Amino acid sequence: MKSYVIPKIELLAWIERLIKENEVVAPIKKENFTSFLPIASSRQIVWGAPQTVIPPKAYLYPQSEELLTYEFSGQGPKVQGKNLTKPRVLFGVHPCDLNAIFLMDKVWAEKNPDENYLQKRQALTLVGVDCLKPCAPQAICLRMDGLNPRDRFDIFLTDLGDNFIAEVATPKGEALLKGIGKETRKDEAKEIRKQRDALFDREELPLKPKYVDLPKLLKENYAHPVFEEHGKKCYGCGSCNMVCPTCYCFDVQDYMHVSLARGERKRVWDGCMLDDFAKVASGENFREDRRERLRHRTYRKLFYLYEKWGQSFCTGCGRCIKACLTNIVSPLEIANQIHERKIT
Amino acid sequence: MNTLYTPELATIKKVIPQTAWETFYELELDARPTLGHKPGQFVMVSVFGVGEAPISITSLPLPDQPTFELCVRKVGNVTGALANLKPGDKVGIRGPFGNGFDLSRFKGRDVLFIAGGIGLIPLRSLILTTLNRPADYGKVFILYGCKTPKELLYKGELKTWECKDNVECQVTVDLGDEDWQGNVGVITTLLPKITFDPRRTQAAIVGPPVMYRFVIKELLARRMPEGNIWMSLERKMKCGVGKCGHCQMNNIYVCQEGPVFNYSEVKALPEAV
Repeated sequence: MKSYVIPKIELLAWIERLIKENEVVAPIKKENFTSFLPIASSRQIVWGAPQTVIPPKAYLYPQSEELLTYEFSGQGPKVQGKNLTKPRVLFGVHPCDLNAIFLMDKVWAEKNPDENYLQKRQALTLVGVDCLKPCAPQAICLRMDGLNPRDRFDIFLTDLGDNFIAEVATPKGEALLKGIGKETRKDEAKEIRKQRDALFDREELPLKPKYVDLPKLLKENYAHPVFEEHGKKCYGCGSCNMVCPTCYCFDVQDYMHVSLARGERKRVWDGCMLDDFAKVASGENFREDRRERLRHRTYRKLFYLYEKWGQSFCTGCGRCIKACLTNIVSPLEIANQIHERKIT
Repeated sequence: MNTLYTPELATIKKVIPQTAWETFYELELDARPTLGHKPGQFVMVSVFGVGEAPISITSLPLPDQPTFELCVRKVGNVTGALANLKPGDKVGIRGPFGNGFDLSRFKGRDVLFIAGGIGLIPLRSLILTTLNRPADYGKVFILYGCKTPKELLYKGELKTWECKDNVECQVTVDLGDEDWQGNVGVITTLLPKITFDPRRTQAAIVGPPVMYRFVIKELLARRMPEGNIWMSLERKMKCGVGKCGHCQMNNIYVCQEGPVFNYSEVKALPEAV
């Protein structure tokens, strides 16, 4: 991987040039929150940004997305598959979200490749920015192996104050950078990551079981009372699903135009914590209890998908912990409780 | 462009009401010569403007067969809208999806079908497969239970199946009516009425969730090996291609690895039955 040192002034000018040629989406201030939105100027960017409410996955897998349209004519319906793709730079993505996007790339490409995601992904250039301190007290990224960006980006920026280090992992990143900055052979960014890891280690809540033991821990504690205890407090609101960068379940809905001459089919985010997620038309609900739903969500993140893809599907962004109204959903907290009161 | 989610059009050729709730459809794909399904698979059926639902294929798979058959209970939005369609109307079809029954495990064996309610619909595809090539299979037992006689499906066909040399049919209802002369009782009461060798018989079971536990218990008590017990499981499905998440039971996507499961797989999955 090549590294470049870029003076801040030069980097900002580069972003201005990018904006002219591409849609650039970056964390900006919106009311009291930070949100990934298209920017018109580099001045809008919130540097060292607090976590956005909605993860940047929304630019690959929107909350509501048209799958197809149909028109009715004398011969019956005409169906048109849809896919809107435009080149886009996603700027300022934290390591937890880079890891989440890496995992999303896997699940959408698996077995039946989902072009709706993959085409948007292909048209996207990912520019990460390192977190030099925890973005929120809820962050558990170091614990969940989400803080290490690996090579899961096109460009990764580390803020040194007057300069930035840009690590470039792909030809796409190299092309976007267009030769700005000076190549450096020093591993300064890695050194900074080591230091900031020590800071995160002091500040983040501890994960009591070993990270690599999480799948086994859950596997052996299926009937653990923590799910009953927390499930009792759960509102079943699905907020934890909606803000999660690795939740990807969806509902499919048809919308008819008022003319009844055409309509569209959309997919919208759905959540396994919602009451009717597994409910069929006959009324049978295959995951009726909130206890079961909380367990399923936790098992997806820390066991089923971890085991399948070799990494926890909680990347530690802390969004669900912040969003949860009753403070029951933290995967770290649940894992700690199971670890401390093992039932097997 | 066409994606995983773009249905192909199919034309309804025949509509045959079965009961007050279920309707039988014969369909033909507009742009492909044959659906090419296996017994136990399903399709996603679209009524445009209403939505899409997973529906079991009920017909005998034959090479180059231009039509395929569905039988649908009207119970939700999509199935309710299907009930209003007539011959000549168009629906959308995606699939066939799912694994289907592994015929190699049934060939050369006696086959015991246990159907509860509309569980007979997906099983019919496999029943017809065994009846179509009697030389490939041993004896065939068909046990079928419904709540009341009004809900019995494929009544005419049941009679023709019964007439075959290698076939034994037993039908029961939970609650009879004035005209009902047959068995009354839950489906497990039919098991003592047939003589089968559990070790050389493969059982295929489809019914409501509550039925599986009782039926499996009875079969295991008769020393049927776990590996001989096959079942097809219903789940909510929105995509059919292993993405939308609704059909998960534990770590399994039913639309991909099912809907047909062997009992030996299912018993390790607390969310299965």
